[in-house]
Formats: sequence, structure tokens, C-alpha cells
Amino acid sequence: MIEFKNVSAGYDDGAPVLRDVSFSIADGEFVAFVGTNGAGKSTTMRLANGLLKPRAGEVLVDGASTRDLKVSELARKVGFLFQNPDRQICCNTVREELLFGFKALGEEGPAADAAVDAMIARFGFDPDAEPFLLNRGTRQLLALASIIVLAPPVIILDEPTTGLDFRECVKVMDTVRELNEGGTTVIMVCHDMEVVADFARRVIAMTDGRVVADGPTFEVLRDPAALKAAHILPPQVTEVALILGREVPGVPPAVAEADTVSQMVEALAAARGEEAVGSEADAPSDDVAAVLAAEEAAAPARPAACAEGSR
Amino acid sequence: MAKFLEYVPGDSLLHRMSPAAKLVGAVLFAVACFVNSNLVFLLVMLVIALALAASCGLGRQTAGLCKAVLGFSVILAVVLVLTTPAGTPLVPLPWGYIGTGSLLAALTVIVRLMAAAIPLFLVFYVTRMSDITNAAVKQLHVPYKYAFTFTSTVHFIPVFMNDMAGIMEAQTARGVAFDGSLPKKIRLMVPLCVPLLVSSVRKTNSTAIAAEVRGFNLRTRESGYKDYPLAARDVAALGLCVALLGAAIALTALGA
Repeated sequence: MIEFKNVSAGYDDGAPVLRDVSFSIADGEFVAFVGTNGAGKSTTMRLANGLLKPRAGEVLVDGASTRDLKVSELARKVGFLFQNPDRQICCNTVREELLFGFKALGEEGPAADAAVDAMIARFGFDPDAEPFLLNRGTRQLLALASIIVLAPPVIILDEPTTGLDFRECVKVMDTVRELNEGGTTVIMVCHDMEVVADFARRVIAMTDGRVVADGPTFEVLRDPAALKAAHILPPQVTEVALILGREVPGVPPAVAEADTVSQMVEALAAARGEEAVGSEADAPSDDVAAVLAAEEAAAPARPAACAEGSR
Repeated sequence: MAKFLEYVPGDSLLHRMSPAAKLVGAVLFAVACFVNSNLVFLLVMLVIALALAASCGLGRQTAGLCKAVLGFSVILAVVLVLTTPAGTPLVPLPWGYIGTGSLLAALTVIVRLMAAAIPLFLVFYVTRMSDITNAAVKQLHVPYKYAFTFTSTVHFIPVFMNDMAGIMEAQTARGVAFDGSLPKKIRLMVPLCVPLLVSSVRKTNSTAIAAEVRGFNLRTRESGYKDYPLAARDVAALGLCVALLGAAIALTALGA
């Protein structure tokens, strides 16, 4: 569990970036932090893994204050994926990169080798490939793999999908979802509300160093006051549903409350007394995902997670 | 807060001087520091340099610079102390001795480096990089290619420092503990040169492409629209620097 208790923080002697922030994240949650640039999201992430110590208040990881722990000690519990994978990658081969974390923690050995082999197989990496010559998406995936190979109970993702195309984004986020389903706590900073809506189960919205909304994803994304305070727009489906509910008379509540395209299609069909056509994967907006899934299934060296086509 | 060698806006005399005058003046000042080895003269030069920094309100930046130069010059000073037996012997060594002259020479090196470095670095804190480049090209007749290369190099220093800090942070988050002995620190930092090198090459390449597409090769001395005429204060400052250089040469010639 990660707890922020009345935390204020800043850099050097500058003005505080976070002001009196309090929240707690339980084990196994998938939380997205949203808000504009400069809202304090990344600072919150840096506090959570001890890279930054609070000026006031306390940050607790499993009950222990980050003030009393070195970042290298916290690394075992809290994995951190940076926005730019090139700041993280530093070895000459993919295998060395995946082993780097074990070396840093002094945990080399057969168990580490086995974990690295499993990760190579899972993602279909070429173990001898030069990491810096991989494409952007694969480098991001390698950076993620080199964090999760250590199996930390918590992973923090700082804008993990920035600069990735749709296919790469799906690969990274499907991996994250699998981890979360396996019990890993996921904390993510994200500007893409579609990604947030698809993957996160809780949203914490921040503005000017303060938490302005905290709750289940769609509760926050459907709250006009929270959206306004955090200067964010909801995902398109949610926005359409909100507009329909607000401005079109006679729209059934199930349509206005739909969170996904398939839910909206089903609600509209039900309102007309028809049966909705197909499953969620067959819904019109998911065509791209279905094509992707088929392509991925056909490609032998792709990660298994990609074949699921999450969106 | 301004980063290393980043322009700090202001309205001091140094801020208002012509970039070319500042550059030439700083070089003359540095040459004067190296022409003469009289400790008193060098201390006077150091005081002048510190006064200049204080007049621009750059005390904090100068203190940081002095710290960095001190670290570097102390290494030189130690080498000098151990390899230059001079003056009254104080500590015998298997290959000679440490004498009063050795200590004086070491102190001279430290004071000289600090006095020479401060005005040179101050130029960057009180002048926009674009003005330095333009003035170097227009007034000092430096080919644009070289002026751009020089200012780009200086411009990239804080960028690379920031990159290195980010890389170290990323590795710390992966469990690398950078605290401990110096050899351990060096051993841990060596692999980090790879991502730094990669990011440097990528950034340099991007900058080169950006410059090319903006007509870098078409630029001549006449391309800049801004002129940097010398004002009375520039001439006076240059005169003072020439006088300091003359004093240094005269003192050396007199054996002081």
C-alpha cells in the first residue's frame, strides 16, 4: 500500500509543486493520475518511489516512510518506468539490459537468469539485439520488461504511451493490464483519456499541485466539475454519452450512462427492442483492434498479449 | 533558477555591454592572469572578477563556479605540490620535498584559475547565446560555422548535464546505489555514458538537421539583422582590460 499523508513537495528552493496532498492506494489497484502539465503528477510519482522526499507530510510504502529508505531499497518494491526509455536503457544487449536490475540489487544467479529468459520468451525479444537500435515502441517495451522482470509489487508508469503508435500502445498497455490482473499495483500518469478509460479502474485528477478528484474511473470522467477543475476532456464515447443524455430528449438512461461503444450500441439496440449485434470485439469502433489482433496472431514472434487487441 | 551557463536576465553594466566587448575583455582578463604569476596581482584580479560577478547579482552562480574550479584546481595544486620542490623544505619526499615555494605555486594556480575563469563564464550568464554568436560573426569576423559550433557546444552543456541527471535518476530507480566510495561511483557511472552518448548523438544530429533545413549554409556575416555598436562603456571596459594586461606584462618584465 502507498499512502500520501498531507504531502507538500518541491524542487530545490523553488515554490512547492505539491500542496497538502493525501490519498492511499491499496494493493492491486490500477490508478491513473490525470491533469495538465505542471499539475504535479510526475512529482507525485517521484515521491512514491523516493526519488523526491517530501518537504512536509509523509509518503509511506508498505507502512515505511520513504524518508527512511534509499531509492535503491525502494526499487525492489516500486518499479518505475520513465517516459523516455533511452534514459533507462544502458546496456549493450537486450539480455544484459534485462539482467541489469538484478545486478544493481545484487541478485544475480540462476533465478535471475530464468526470469530474464521468461521475459525474453514473453515479449519475443532477440536477446543479443542492440537495445538502442530497436524501434521506439520496442525500446519502451524493453524498458518496461526490465522493470517487471524484477517482479516489484508496485509499478509506476510515467506517461507510458507517449510517442507510441496504436499498436505499440496496445502492446505496452496489455502487458500492464496482465500484470495488474496478476496482482501488481499499477500507478500511471497519462494524458490519453482513451487509455485511462480503457485500463484504469480509479482516477486521481490533479491541478496546481492538489488533488481535485479521486474516484472510480468513469465516475471522475463523467463529473463535469472534476473535468473542469483538472482541465481535461473525457474520452469520446463518454463525451457523446454525456451530450446525448444532456441535450437529446428521450435518450434512454442506459445510453447516456454508457462507458464504451459496445455498451452504447447495446443500449440503443435494447431501446429499439432489437438484439445488439455481436460481442464487444465486433463493435464497429473495435474493427481496428480486431484486425490488429488477427495480424498479431499471424505473426509468430509477437508477444502473446498483443493478440488480444484490447481496444 | 538559472542552470549552468544559462543566460540570467538583468540590467547591470555587464548586461548592457556589447557582446563582442565582453568576449574580448574576458579573454584579455584571462590572458593577464596567465601572463603574470605574482600572487598579489592574481588576488587583485580575483577580487575584480568577484566584484564584477556581484555587480550583476550573480553571486550564487559564481559561488557554484568557484566551487567547481576549486575542485579542478586543487587536483592540479596537489600535483604541483608533490612535483615542484621549491623554497624552504617542509616535508621530505622520496623524490624531493614539499617546500614553501611548492605551496605558494599551488596557491597561485588555484587563484589564477579562479580569477581567469570567472569573467569568461560571466560572459555566458550576462549575454544571450544568440548575441554572442551574432557579435562574434559580425564584429569579430569569426566564420558563422565556427561561432555556431562554439555556442552550440556551450548551449549543450546544461542539456547534457540535465540528461545525465535524468539517466542517473532512472538507474537509481532501478536499484543502483550511487552513494559509497569514489571508485564504486565511477564503476557505476561508466555504463551510463552509453545512454548519454546515444542521446547526445541523437540531439546533435537533430540540431544539425534543423540548422540545415533553416538555411545554415546560406548564412553569411551580413545575415544578422542586429548590430552591436561599441558604446563608450565598452571602450572604457576594453581599455581597463588592456591596462590590466599591460600591468601583468610589465610586472613580469620587472620580475615581480
